[in-house]
Amino acid sequence: MKLKVYADRMSQPVRAVIIFCKVNCINYEEVRLDIAKRQHLTPKYAEINPMKQLPAIVDGRFKLFESHAILIYLACSFPGVADHWYPVDVFKRSKIHSVLDWHHSNLHPGPVTIVRNTVLAPALGRPFNPEAAAEGEKILSASLAKIETVWLKDNGRFLLGGNQPSIADLSLVCDIMQLELLDESDRDRLLGPYKKVQQWIENTRNATNPHFDEVHKILMKAKEKRQNQRLKGENHGGGGSDMKKPLVSRI
Amino acid sequence: MKLKVYSDRLSQPVRAVLIFCKVNGIEFEEVRVDLSKREHFSPEFSEINPMNQLPAIVDGEFKLFESHAILIYLASSYPEVADHWYPADVFKRSKIHSVLDWRHSNLRRGPVTIVQNTVLAPMFCRPFNPEGAAEGEKLLSAALSKIESFWLEGNGPFLLSANQPSIADLSLVCEIMQLELLDEADRNRLLSPYKKVQQWIENTRNATNPHFDEVHKSLKEIKEQLQK
Repeated sequence: MKLKVYADRMSQPVRAVIIFCKVNCINYEEVRLDIAKRQHLTPKYAEINPMKQLPAIVDGRFKLFESHAILIYLACSFPGVADHWYPVDVFKRSKIHSVLDWHHSNLHPGPVTIVRNTVLAPALGRPFNPEAAAEGEKILSASLAKIETVWLKDNGRFLLGGNQPSIADLSLVCDIMQLELLDESDRDRLLGPYKKVQQWIENTRNATNPHFDEVHKILMKAKEKRQNQRLKGENHGGGGSDMKKPLVSRI
Repeated sequence: MKLKVYSDRLSQPVRAVLIFCKVNGIEFEEVRVDLSKREHFSPEFSEINPMNQLPAIVDGEFKLFESHAILIYLASSYPEVADHWYPADVFKRSKIHSVLDWRHSNLRRGPVTIVQNTVLAPMFCRPFNPEGAAEGEKLLSAALSKIESFWLEGNGPFLLSANQPSIADLSLVCEIMQLELLDEADRNRLLSPYKKVQQWIENTRNATNPHFDEVHKSLKEIKEQLQK
């Protein structure tokens, strides 16, 4: 029975798992769930993951959730996966664990908080909340500063001085890619100060293309749709960056 | 050169690492860093951990921070550590990773938010914040329900139906022990709906005593000081 990956590509950790599978030629079936339609909250999905979050996998009879746990499981269980993704060397591996753990409490909340309270608010049935978004920006900036000065301190192309990507690079870059949902000016404002971070994102993208771009297409489509809707709104008298003005509900 | 563990026993993840070392007979030097005096922001400690958080370890020339990463490193590097702490079996190990990751986003914020907005507020020059504490209580209850109904679903004494503790049990129980800083009445109110959780805390304590009680003594001492 083929590996199943329960996925909504709007989710950053889902994208990390899918890109990992594609890059490593791991045969899988993508079972699509639409978070905006609350399909992750069905009793049927609760059988797969009682925490009702994505991603989750089912490999034979083995079920697993939490993207870092999944990436590690796949790296250890599928023989085609090159060592650099999750090195056998205990020192390198421990540093990767350190990045992944730090990510949970530091980087991950940043982009999530910004987009949930601005561009994705309508899709999630939430109010537009500029103060919460501003908090998210602070969290993001603090984390990007740490990535720039600590995790990218050495001169490798990837985190921790690596010359090849690990699951940590994939996980963190996919999180930052969520900013693609914002207007380009906002995204540039947030990422602009961090030159090493920008280069590292590009390195990770190049190392995992064409899969990286293919999996991230959904973000571009979502952004285009939103921009078209805004243009329609402007034709009726609205306008301005989504981060700066409250969205007028069309419901 | 002996393993060094940078520590303030007020911190839940620090206690998990200390208890793990003691239970497994791992020799270490405990280097005390006082959080209430902001010693974790000193230039010396920033060299050890640029994120300025505890715990951190130095093993020879190898530095590491983040308690889960540390626990896994110790379990993998010290041959005296029994398999049940971090099993070699990829399926069991993956489930442990899943619990540890879940803890970050779910359990951790509960006890931290409650105590930082109430009993520990003066120590860290923060205002007393009952709304913040109430939010913390909601987070904690949601997390405890998940532990009760899912992570303790089978009939084992420990998480994931295990018969012996893993690093996940130690990490999560130390987190919940932070509630010892509260009044007994509040602590009982928060924990009493969860019978399996209470039993599991006791099981973990018994499996790691006398070290568990010894390391948690600081919480009792801090609580007495705060009550004065």
